[in-house]
Order: sequence, then C-alpha cells, then structure tokens
Amino acid sequence: MKKLVLIWGLFLLSYTPNNAQLLVSLREPLPDVGHNQRAPIYLRDILSSMEKEFNVSILYNSDLIENVEVSVTPELKNSSVEEELLYYLQPIGLKSKKLEERFYVIQKEVDKQEKIIRNAKARFNKASQSEEPFLVNSVPKNIDFSSLNKPSSLATLTGQVTDESGAVLPGVSIIIKGTTTGTITDIEGYYSLEVNPSDVLIFSFIGYSNQEIIVGTQSVVNVRLEADITTLGEIVVTGYGTQQRRDITGAVASISFEEIQNMPVASFENAIQGQLAGVQVSETSGEPGAGPTIRVRGLGSISAGNEPLFVIDGFPVSKNVAIGVQGDVSRRRAAFRPPPSNPLATLNPNDIQSIEVLKDASAAAIYGSRGSNGVVLITTKRGKREGKPQISFDSFTGVQSVANKIDLMNAAELTDYVIDTRNNAYLQDIAGASINDSNAERDAKAIADGKAPSGNYRIADDFINPSGTDTDWQDEVFNQATIQSHNVSVSGGTEDIGYYVAGGYYDQDGIIDGSGFKRYSFRVNLEAEIMPKLNIGVNLNPSFTVFDRLPAGSPYFARPPGIVYSALVQSPTVSPYNADGSINQTDNQSYLFTETGAGAGMTTASNPLAIIAAIDDKLKQNRTFGNFWGEYEILEGLKFKSFLGIDINNYNRTFFRANSLLYRNAPTGEPYAQSSASQSVSWVSEQTFSYEKTFADQHNLSAVAGFAAQKETIETSEVLAINFFDDQVPTINGGQVTAGTANQEEWSLASFLARGNYSYKDKYLLTATIRTDKSSRFGKENRTGVFPSVSAGWRLSEESFMANLSSLSDLKVRASWGQTGNFLIPNFASIGLISPTNYVFGENGGSQTNGVTQTTISNPALSWEKTSQIDIGLEFGLFDDRIFTSLDWYQTTTSDLLLAVQIPSALGFTTSLQNIGEVQNKGLEISLSTRNLAGELKWDTDFNFSTINNKVTKLGPSGDPILSSGGAGNRHITRIGDPIGSYYGYVVDGIYQSQAEIDNAPIDTQAPAARPGDLRFKDIDNDGDIDPDDRTVIGNYLPDYTWGITNTFTFKGVDLRILIQGVQGAEVLNLTRRHLGNGEGNFNSYAEWNNRWRSPSEPGNGEIPRADRLTGLHGNNNRPSSFQVEDASYIRLRTITLGYNFPNKVLGDVIQSLRIYMSGTNLLTITDYLGFNPEVNNQSAASPNVQGEDYGAYPLNKSYTFGINVTF
Amino acid sequence: MKTSYKNIYMLALSILTISCSEDFTDLAPTSQRNVENFYKTATDMEVAVNGIYNALQLDGTYNQSYWIMHEMRSDNTDQGPGSTGLARERAIIEDFGEISTSDIIEAAWTDSYSGIARANVVLNRINSVEMDQGLKDRLTGEALFLRSLFYYHMAISFGNIPLVVTETQSVNEGQDHVQVSADVIYGQLVTDLTEAENLLNLPIETMGNNLGRATKGAAAILLAKVHLLLNEKAAAATVLRRIMSDYGYSLVPDYNDLWGENNEHNAESIFEVEFQGGGFGGGNSFTNDFSPLPTLPTSVGAYRNRPTREMMNTYETGDSRFFASMDTSFVDNEGMLQTNTNNDIRFIVKYGIDNPLGAEGEGDAPNNFVVFRYADVLLMLAEAIGESPEAYDLINEVRDRADLGIIDAATPGTFEEKLLHERRVELAFENHRWADLLRFGAAESTLVAIGKSPRLLFLIPQKELDLNKNFKQN
Repeated sequence: MKKLVLIWGLFLLSYTPNNAQLLVSLREPLPDVGHNQRAPIYLRDILSSMEKEFNVSILYNSDLIENVEVSVTPELKNSSVEEELLYYLQPIGLKSKKLEERFYVIQKEVDKQEKIIRNAKARFNKASQSEEPFLVNSVPKNIDFSSLNKPSSLATLTGQVTDESGAVLPGVSIIIKGTTTGTITDIEGYYSLEVNPSDVLIFSFIGYSNQEIIVGTQSVVNVRLEADITTLGEIVVTGYGTQQRRDITGAVASISFEEIQNMPVASFENAIQGQLAGVQVSETSGEPGAGPTIRVRGLGSISAGNEPLFVIDGFPVSKNVAIGVQGDVSRRRAAFRPPPSNPLATLNPNDIQSIEVLKDASAAAIYGSRGSNGVVLITTKRGKREGKPQISFDSFTGVQSVANKIDLMNAAELTDYVIDTRNNAYLQDIAGASINDSNAERDAKAIADGKAPSGNYRIADDFINPSGTDTDWQDEVFNQATIQSHNVSVSGGTEDIGYYVAGGYYDQDGIIDGSGFKRYSFRVNLEAEIMPKLNIGVNLNPSFTVFDRLPAGSPYFARPPGIVYSALVQSPTVSPYNADGSINQTDNQSYLFTETGAGAGMTTASNPLAIIAAIDDKLKQNRTFGNFWGEYEILEGLKFKSFLGIDINNYNRTFFRANSLLYRNAPTGEPYAQSSASQSVSWVSEQTFSYEKTFADQHNLSAVAGFAAQKETIETSEVLAINFFDDQVPTINGGQVTAGTANQEEWSLASFLARGNYSYKDKYLLTATIRTDKSSRFGKENRTGVFPSVSAGWRLSEESFMANLSSLSDLKVRASWGQTGNFLIPNFASIGLISPTNYVFGENGGSQTNGVTQTTISNPALSWEKTSQIDIGLEFGLFDDRIFTSLDWYQTTTSDLLLAVQIPSALGFTTSLQNIGEVQNKGLEISLSTRNLAGELKWDTDFNFSTINNKVTKLGPSGDPILSSGGAGNRHITRIGDPIGSYYGYVVDGIYQSQAEIDNAPIDTQAPAARPGDLRFKDIDNDGDIDPDDRTVIGNYLPDYTWGITNTFTFKGVDLRILIQGVQGAEVLNLTRRHLGNGEGNFNSYAEWNNRWRSPSEPGNGEIPRADRLTGLHGNNNRPSSFQVEDASYIRLRTITLGYNFPNKVLGDVIQSLRIYMSGTNLLTITDYLGFNPEVNNQSAASPNVQGEDYGAYPLNKSYTFGINVTF
Repeated sequence: MKTSYKNIYMLALSILTISCSEDFTDLAPTSQRNVENFYKTATDMEVAVNGIYNALQLDGTYNQSYWIMHEMRSDNTDQGPGSTGLARERAIIEDFGEISTSDIIEAAWTDSYSGIARANVVLNRINSVEMDQGLKDRLTGEALFLRSLFYYHMAISFGNIPLVVTETQSVNEGQDHVQVSADVIYGQLVTDLTEAENLLNLPIETMGNNLGRATKGAAAILLAKVHLLLNEKAAAATVLRRIMSDYGYSLVPDYNDLWGENNEHNAESIFEVEFQGGGFGGGNSFTNDFSPLPTLPTSVGAYRNRPTREMMNTYETGDSRFFASMDTSFVDNEGMLQTNTNNDIRFIVKYGIDNPLGAEGEGDAPNNFVVFRYADVLLMLAEAIGESPEAYDLINEVRDRADLGIIDAATPGTFEEKLLHERRVELAFENHRWADLLRFGAAESTLVAIGKSPRLLFLIPQKELDLNKNFKQN
C-alpha cells in the first residue's frame, strides 16, 4: 500500500479555529515561494503558497506530487484558486475538486469507466483499501518524518467514516495521536492506514466533533462522526448567503437537524423549544396541528404581528393568518377562537437540515421591513454530490395521554361546597335565616323579608340527597391516542448533480376523540452544475394536511361551547350517559330543581361528550413551495444568482354542528354548517450579485447586492347554512344557505438589498447591510423604508498578545447596530375603507338593502414600525473549545408603533391607525456548550438562558394607557413603564378575618356587603376607598427568563439525550377562576377551595375566601384581581430519548446504519400553576395586548414513542 | 471580457423586473370600496344613505343603549335579579351609579355620532353629484332626519355635546369640537327637520321597496317633539295638526295589533327601526335581553329592562294594553306554567317573537322597534295645547282604544300628571319615558319618590373628556 505522509493533523488543526495561533505559527516558516522565482518550481511549493494566498486547504496524496516540477511559468494574476489549480495541474494530468468551501483535493484525472470500476470495487470490498487514497498536504520543514520508518509490527487498518445520518464523509482526517502520521478518507469515505495496536486515532472533520479510537486488534474501524454545532468552521446561513460561524458579527442562533429530528411533534417550531437562547417557543395549545407562538427577543409590537419572518430555502413567508384564510366559525366570538392551525406545519421537520434565527438587527436587516421580529431561516436537506445513493427510513410510533389533570372537587366535596355557598348567601341576606331551614322555609322567609325567593338560597335536591354519582369529567374527555410518523428519503448524486428526494407521513391523533392532524409531504431538492460555472437548483415541496379540529379550547359558554371547559365546570354529580347509554344532555346541573320546582342557582354547561359527537370541523391545507434558481460565475469571485419562488397555499374548511347538540340548557339543537376556502399565491423574484475575494492574503471581502420583488394575493370565501332539519347531510347543501362572503387582498414589496463583509487577517471583522423596501401596505406619503445595519467583530484570540493563554482557544467580541421594520400591518390600512352596512327596507318584513359606511379613516402617512437594536456579544472557547460560550446583551427600541389611536367619537370614527408609541426590549442571552467527557463515555451539555425585559416607553399623543379586552372584558393594560398587555385589576391583600377588620379597612365601593372571609383588596392610590382607581398592573405574560439544557450521553452504541427547559417569572391570567374558583358554587370548582375560609377558627389556607353564592352582591370576590393571576413559572422535562446504534459488524453489507430509540415527551412539568399548561394562551392569535389568558385550552399531551432510523 | 457584457445584460434584466415598481406597490383594495373612488354617483349616494339607517341598529343606539338610557333609567324598568359581573352594569345605570367609563354610555355616544357622521358625509357630498332632483331631495331629507334623530337622543341624554354638521376631513378636527347646550342642538334640529319635512315624501308615497324610509311624518313628529322641548308649544301644535290632517295616519283599533313581526308598518306607525333575522347581521337581541332568567324557555334570557313592580301596578284595572306590553307568567321548557305568585315575574312582550328558541332568539330577531307612532301625535298635541276639552278628547281617544273610560278635568290629579300617566302606559317601553319625565320636569320628583337619587344628565364618556381637554363633565 502507499504510504501516506502528511502534516495533516497540524494542517487540520490550523483550520479549526481553536488552534488559530498554531495556524499562524505554522505558516510563518514556510518558504516564501513566489510566482516570480526562476529556480525549479515544485508543485508542492506552488500549492503551499496558494493555500496561503487564498486561505484555502489543498489536500493531495503526496505520491501524486512528490518531486513534481511545474513546467509552466507562473504568470497568473488576479485569478481564482480554481483557475490557478487548473493552470498548474492540467498539464501534468491532475485535476482539482472542491470539497467544501475553501477545501480542495487533488486527484488524478480518472475517466468515467475507471471511476465506475473503482466505485464498484469499493462497494464490494468495504474493508479493502481504496484505490486512490489521496492525500497529504504540503510538508513543512519542522515535521518529524520518523513515523514513516516504523517497524513492521504495523498492521493495516481500514474503514469508512460517515456522519450521523450514515452519509459518507470524504476528506476526513485521521491521524495517529501524538504523531503527524495520518491519512484522509476518499470520496467514498474510506480510509486505510498502517497502525500499531497501541495507537490512538483521531478522526476529525470540519463541522464535526473529533473522535478518538483505540486501534487494538481491530483491522476494520468504521467511524461515525457527530456534527459539532459550536465548531466555528460551521457554515451558517445568513440570508442571501452563508458565513462561517467564526466570521459572524451579528447575533445568529442555529440548530441542526440532529436536535430536532425524531421528536413527536407536528412542526419544527415545537421541536426547537427550549433549545435556542432568545427564541421563546410557547406551546399554547396541545391540539395536534395548532400553531405554537415564536417570539424572538420579546415583544416589539402592540398591534401589528409579533411572529418572526420565516425564510424557507430562500423564500420569505409570513405566518400571519389574521385575515381569515383558515376560515372561521362565524358564530364564535373572535375572543374565543382556538389558536390557528400552524400554516408551516406542512413542512416536514425531517426534511430540515438546519434552522438559523437572525436575532439582532444587524443580522435581520437584510430582510428590512420584515426583520424586526427576527428572521427564522430554514434550510432543507441536500444530496451530497458524489455520494452513493443513500436511502434512509425514519419511523416512530407512540402513545399520548393528557400530560396532567386539574385537581377538581369530587361529588362529596362539591356537595359540601354548594351547600356552604347557599347557606352563606341565605344567612347574610334573609332576616331570621337558619341553615337548618328547608327550601320551602327559605322561600317563605325570603318573601317575608321582601326579597325574591331564589335558587341562590335553596339547596338543590342533588346536593341534599346525593345519588352517589361521582363522574370524573376529565377522564371522560381525555383518552389515549396514537402518534406515528414515517419518512423515506433518498439522497445522493454524481459529480455534477446532487439530489434529495423524500416522502413523509405524519399522523397524530388528539387526546380528545375526533381531533387529530395528518400530513403527507413530499420533497425534491435538486442541484446541478449544468455547465462550467453555471449551477441551477430546484426545490419542490408539495404537502397536504388534514386538521381535525374541535371546539376544544374555548369557554363553556362560547358558541360552539368549549369541550375542555365544559368538562371542567360540569358537576361530578352529573352522569355522562343516560340509562339507555345515550349521552346525557338534559339531566344536568341546569335541570337540578328543588322540590318546589324552582331553579337551583347552578349554571349549566353542555355535555362535552355531546360537543365531541356533534361538531365536525375539518381544515385541509394544500401547500406547495417551489423554488428555482440559477447561479453563474461571471468573473472569478463574482456570481450572479437569479431566484424565483412560488408558494401556493390552499385552505379548505368544512364545519358542521349537528342538531344533536343542546347548547347548555337549550331544549333544541342549533344546527348549522359552514364551508370556507382560501387561496394565497405568493411569488418572489430575486436577482443578486455576490462577490468574494481575498486580497494580499489578509483582506477578505465578500459582498452581495441585488433586487427582490414579492407579491401575494389572498382570496377567501365563506358560506353559512342554517335550518338543517336532520343530521343526515353535514354539508351546507343539507340546510339553507343564508349568508356568504368573499374577500380578496394583496400586497407587494419591491426591494434593493446589499451586504458587505470584510475581515482583516481573520482578526477584525466588519459587516454592513442595507435594504430598502417599498410596500403597498404603507401610506402614499411613506412608501419606501431604508434599513441599514453595521456590525463589527474582533477575534482577540488571533492577536499575538493572547497567544500565551493556552486554555483560551477562542475569543471574539462583537457589536452591532441596525434598523429593521415590521410590516405586519393590514393590507389596506392606509386607505379609508368603505364597508357594507346594510339595512332592511320593504314590505313583508323587508329585505336586506345595500348600504355602505366609511369604516376607517385614511392615513396616507402610515408606515412600518421601526426597530433599532444594539447588540454586544462575546464568544469564547476554553480548552480546545471543550467549553464554548456565547454571550449577548441587546437593547431594542421599537418606535412608530402601529396603534389604533383613540380619536374623539364625534369625528365619526373611534380609532385611527397611526404610528405612535415606543417599546423597549432588553435582554441577556447565554449559550454554553461543554464537552464534559470525551472518552468512550461521552457527555455533552448545551445550555441556554435568556432574559426578557419588555417595557412600553411611549404611547399615543396623551400617553394614556390602553385597556384591552380579551376573553372577559378589560383585563389588560398597555401603559408606559410596564410590559405590553400587562394584566390589570385589583390587588388582593389577604382575607378579612373579622367584622372589625372590615369596619376599619378603607371602604370597598365594589363590595356592597363584605363579610369576614371575603377578600380584602388593596387601596392602591391610598385615597381611603377601594374603587376602580385602585386597579393596577398585576402581572404579565412575558417571562423574566427562559432556559433550556440538553445533556447528551453516548457510550458505545447507546445514546441518551435529555432536554429540560424552563420559564421563570411569567404569569397567566387564569380566567377559569372566574368559574372554577368564584366561590359561588354554581359549577364544579378547583379542589383548592376545600381549603377555603370557613370561619375565623377555620381560616383555611389563608388564600381562599369564603363560599358565597352571591359574592357579587357581597364581597365581590370574583372581580378582576390578582386572585385570578397565577405564577406560570415551570420546569419541564421536555424530551428524554434513549437510542441504540447497532454496530456495523452486525448490520452486514446492505444496511449502513441502524438505530432504534425510545423517547418520552412532556413527561414531567414542575409548576405551581393550577391549570393544565403554564404556557397556555387562549389569545395567541389575537392582539399582543391581550396575551396570556387561560379560558379553557386544549391541554398538552405527554407521549412515549418508539422509533427506528435505518440507512441503506 | 465577454462576461462583462453578460454582466450588464443581467443587471439590466434584474432592474427590468422591478422597473414597474411604482405600479407594483400601488395596490388598491379589490374587495372593499374605498374613499378614493366612492361617493361619485347617484347609486353611491343612495347606498351611503342606507348606511346611515344601519346606525339605528347598533348596540349604542336602538339595539341596546337607548332602552337602557331612556327606559331603565326612568321609573319604568329595572334589571331583573341574578345579574352579576358585567351584566350588573345595566343595573348600575338604572341606579344612577355608573361611572364615566361605562361601556354602555360610551357606546351610545360613539354609535350616535357614527350615525351623525354618516349623514354628514352624504350632506357634504350630495350636492356635487349629478342625479335626479327628486331622489336628491329625498336622500337629503333622509340624511337630515336621521342626523336629527341621533342628535335628539344625544341632547336628551348628555345635554352638552359637540354639534358637528360637517364631514370629517382629518383626525385633527377633533380638537376643534366644542360643547354646546341642548338648546343649541334643538335649534339646529328645528332648521334641519323643517327642511327634511319639506324634502321628504309623504307616507303614502313611501311604500313597496322604500317602506321603512323616513317620511314627512317622521320628520314632523320629531320636529314637534323638539318644539315641545324648546317650549314652543304653538309651533309644535301647528306641526302636529299638519301630521293629523295631511299625512294619513290613524290609530289601529286594537292595541294588540300594534306589535309583532306581522303588524309592522301599520296605519299608526310613523317610523320604525327595521330589523331582520336570518343570519344577515340585521337582527335584534330584544328577545334575549328582555326575557326572564336564563333557566327559562328562551334559554338565553337576561331579564333586562324588566318592568318595575310599580310600573306593573300603574296600569288601571281593565287596561287592555297591559298584556300587550308585558306579562307575568310563561310556560317553561318542560311545559310547566310559571306563574307570578310572588310578583317577581315581569317582562316586556312588545318585542316578543313567535319562536324564541331558534337562532332568532339569540340576538337575531326580526321584529322592528317602533320609534314614533300616531298615538304619540295625539298625546303631544294635548300637551301642546294644554288643559282643555280638546286635549282631554285627544287623551280619551287613546284611552278608548285601551278599553278605559274617559277622563276630564274632574278626574283627580293635575292635567300634566294625567297626561304623563297616559303617555307612560300608552308608550310603555318605547324609549319615551326618560325624555317625557325630563320634558315635564318630573324626573327628579318621580325618581326620588321611588327612592333613587337621580342625575338628569348622563356623564360624558371619560374617553371623550380625555381626548379633548376642553370638554367639561356634566
């Protein structure tokens, strides 16, 4: 076999930045072989000098170039690496191949026939050495060649190196530890090396963690390298280009497919939860397919959208679903809408290669008026060129159940509580009352006292003589459900073409029967070099989803009523089924009558099982992304790229409410059906030039500039039918169509963009960006916005004065400033719109006659919201990057907030959309990756931590606070000095223990007749009484900080990954307390009310007031107050995965890799929050002003899955 | 190099792709009309006038605020039991306890001024639109009448309000608004309504598809009311006599036949707010609002605007208007008769619908709200001419229909007391009571007598005070 000699190890280290000093010191002593020298010129020297000049690595088999002289005169100037290589190599029958950015390998010219034979041989004889192990870099003088002359105890070791997915890795360096001897893998990933049994091999490759192997007696060692996300050589997608991690001067978070694959979630957003600093993903509903919310660095907007811009393979998509493209149930109040379906759930997480989040303004400014909420760049998988076809099969299946249940009263507890509420009300209101009075006596005494007899004083029969029924309504509603996902992909390519073709099926049933989400997705990613210097590519991603919706997450009184909330408020004394097995809809708490036949003061809710049975709501989405691009290298380093993309998104929704459902205590059904459809078509055209050049070996310059245009047209329509006389036909033609509507909207954006990156000696880094956006959404006077940014970095670790700090492997400080915008304003908000306001004229009841009214007032000055951000970052690696830390501090000021400013009503309008007000976000982000153990047992930890500090700094002309109404009246305030949408209400200050205490307290104008046991409210303004002026901020939805920690252990073939994440300092406005904790006993209630105040001697737990059916007329304990605001901090065991990789020797020739794993999700959540999910947010799709309400949401599930990954 | 030509070519190509960007980003709504292309034709103006009528159906006008502020505020009705939380807000208004941030009061202000602004747009623009003069007159008259109707309610309720009769051009105009007294408003209304009466069609001409539009009669009866408010009794009498002699109204023989979906636009009807069910957004929620408790047959009753016990007792024995106006028992959803053993079941039936159980019973009921009817003309004429045989004749004409005997000067009580009583029961729950009490100067005494501490003007919404620092609270 050929001996391979190299300084490869040192060479490689020189390209891992942790050893940057070494790079410098190594290069210094190299002979300065310039082009102009007349002496015999060796190719080796030429290559060496080229490496220096172009800052590239050139790999070769030393045999190929040993003593090869260059016959041509080196006269090239201003040419590219490729051109120079071609110039020198062609005459001597060699060629070069670009492996990666800045990596070239020199090969013999091999004709096709030869190549096929070679490949075939390699496949048939894995263990044999490959024919042409290329190798060896230029050899500096100071390298010890003694290792070449080792005694003959050397044995030949061979093997193949792959990545985690089983894809072969060419160009991986293998070096014997402590020596300079080694080799690199060939294009099939094979290597061959002569070793001693005592040798330790180090496998290393850019972008992957090093792996050490003890040779022992093995003759074949196949190695799987794991991607290393903190390695600074990692290529990071930055929008209109890529950069190496070490060159980045903005705040960019990235995550690769390893961290998101195989998770039992519908969408990639759920998968990245807790894994990125500064990116808060909240799973506000557990309904399969429901969209989570993503907030990058807090909340910047009061009334425009706060979702980041998503860019999928270069195609910008907004997740804005505000204008009803998904259809809506027209009879449901906007505040009770469930979270929208996730429009990006058509994207199969399995197809994603990496996700980058551009967090600061310098990174996001390249997206201009859409960048201020952050930008999420999604890159899908490509085929590796020259890899043999690789077939992967990934599949998992599992079971899900409700993550936790709410602790509610059982029948006995509720009975005790209800009786208590009636007695307390009766004793307080009626003269001569005694709790021993019969219902008849209660009625009589009420009349005698001049009051109306009422169910609020009577005790219903069910509670006097309980039947023994004790229904757990949560058990009735939540079931076990299955989840499965199957994906097949084929990727590979030839020298000129790379392809990735995949198909996926995902099927998740909901834990409430009748809900679920299915996805069928396909993807073709092709790239080809069709001519020298001309590359083209196509991405095509059609997918189809079916989302079985249920009205699960709305209040019991919404229309249609919410399933979860109906189950919670339902009395356990009510039986879910009738004796004949049918669903019990009439023998419920609203039909509890006392013996006198009068009402029992209970509020009814529909039977949740009847809701499940009666509602059929299906949302189907059909989305196709298609991109086509071509890139031509015009001159050395100068490329032109033309990118065309289209996104066609169709929704089709059918809704039917059957006759069978009785709304609460309605005696008859209320059937209706809806059909809605929408189509949005968005196209984008981008023409960009990019340029990359290194001057004088020290100045690296890269730039991109170009034009972009995008336009989206959205059409929606909706038809309503009522009067279904039976449930036979659930479509609109089964009833009478009575209403319909259609809408068409469009927006367009024309942009110029440019970015330049400059670095000097890899030490000083500078990036500047500018984008101008001209949008149809902006007013005529303000149509074009300019968004500049600049950022700089200094890699101190490159400085000679840092060279002595051997433990510090990398140190970079960076700072950025930039401006971005938020263009998520309504499409035609600047133009005064005229809307239909019909009226009825004519005989016989009349008919609808067209009428119109101007409903909005023009604002030709309307503009995007402007965000300025400063970011200061520090990155350092210790001990060869075994510890790598990135710190960011940022401050964001968003001004010209889009605000519906109140105007005097006598103008005929109540609000006018104006740019006014300012919000500030500040925060600190820490990412820490440590390689705790690197031996046979590997232990890696990734930790991230971010703080959020959100504050409104200016508002409206008068600075007046904005009160906002979510699900239950004005309970949110946006005011200067507090976070957006803070909760607003009275502050509870304990419980009155005695009448004397009440008498001495400030007069509570909102409590007509407080008694001991009632809540004591705080006199905030100290004016001696408690009135509406004493309402104040009582919490907010934004956390103080969020964190996540992932621990990964690998030992032999076993891997264990544990992700724990947490949120601290967030509060939830728990509106369910209005019913489940109102003290009135007209519903089932939180079990904590068993610890209520009963008397001064039995004060309970000191937090829960007394039971009182008529608290609204007495202590008014149920008013909006801090009693309804709860700490929503939590720590969650998000996922735990245990996997096993079968060793290659048991797999045979066909299977390249096989991994099986078991995974658990949401197994444990530690929180004080009473409800299902501390991340709940019933208003996630509504205005940013009303976030954080819990009004009965679909709970999260916990799941156990079993999966398999196979590659062939 | 050749590539440089390619370079230039491609650059040109890329510029070309967005060279049309001026048009490219200049988009106008396709599904919604906008101010830049509307109000140009006769049809535009016609639908714009229809849009003013639409403001009569809003929550801040006839669908809710007006009956809370003009009926519940008076001694006629209250909030039934069992209301807590937000529902209590109506009870608080009934009890004169509301604060200036009350949503209901604010809605009245907002929605009334919305109607006024809609009329201002039409009145500002109609003269420059070419159209048939007859149509132009009618549309102008309708806009004037509707604007006056909103201003009438605003002036009664709040007294000191801004008088805006021009189209809003810019949001900055809001700072120029000044409060004027109710009398200034009434002065404007006299002018406007006189013109409207002139321009509008006769009732007989307003049939077919135009049924429901304002007529000379509608403008005239409101004009007469405004004259009475200004204490211009002679002028009021003149207008009222003109209605009687020229516009062809008469009393419907049976008081029961005034109400319900099938009796709309009867011989006595002068102006109604039109409602229509069926999911078009044109229905009312009177049935939900006025029906008894939630546990009762409509399943959604909120028991609002409940006749007081004193109201129930104010009807004379044998008054056939009683059961046409209100009821004291009902059959529940189990077929059981719920009777009024404790006098605690009382609810308005004037706006009842035949089938309260379906969608119509859930805020989508079709029955109209009668704003003005002829009996009011007779009683106002009696008021205008003062105590006299003719006045008693007018009152007795109304009493006769109710199967009640005649009254005269010898009947106990003052003329005003007798007239006010008659107005109370004849026009019960038709949003007249609060204005009548004010006009007769009886609000204070009447409400004090039932234990209230009345406030004659509503508080001006806090929002308006905040936005215009010149405004003063009542």
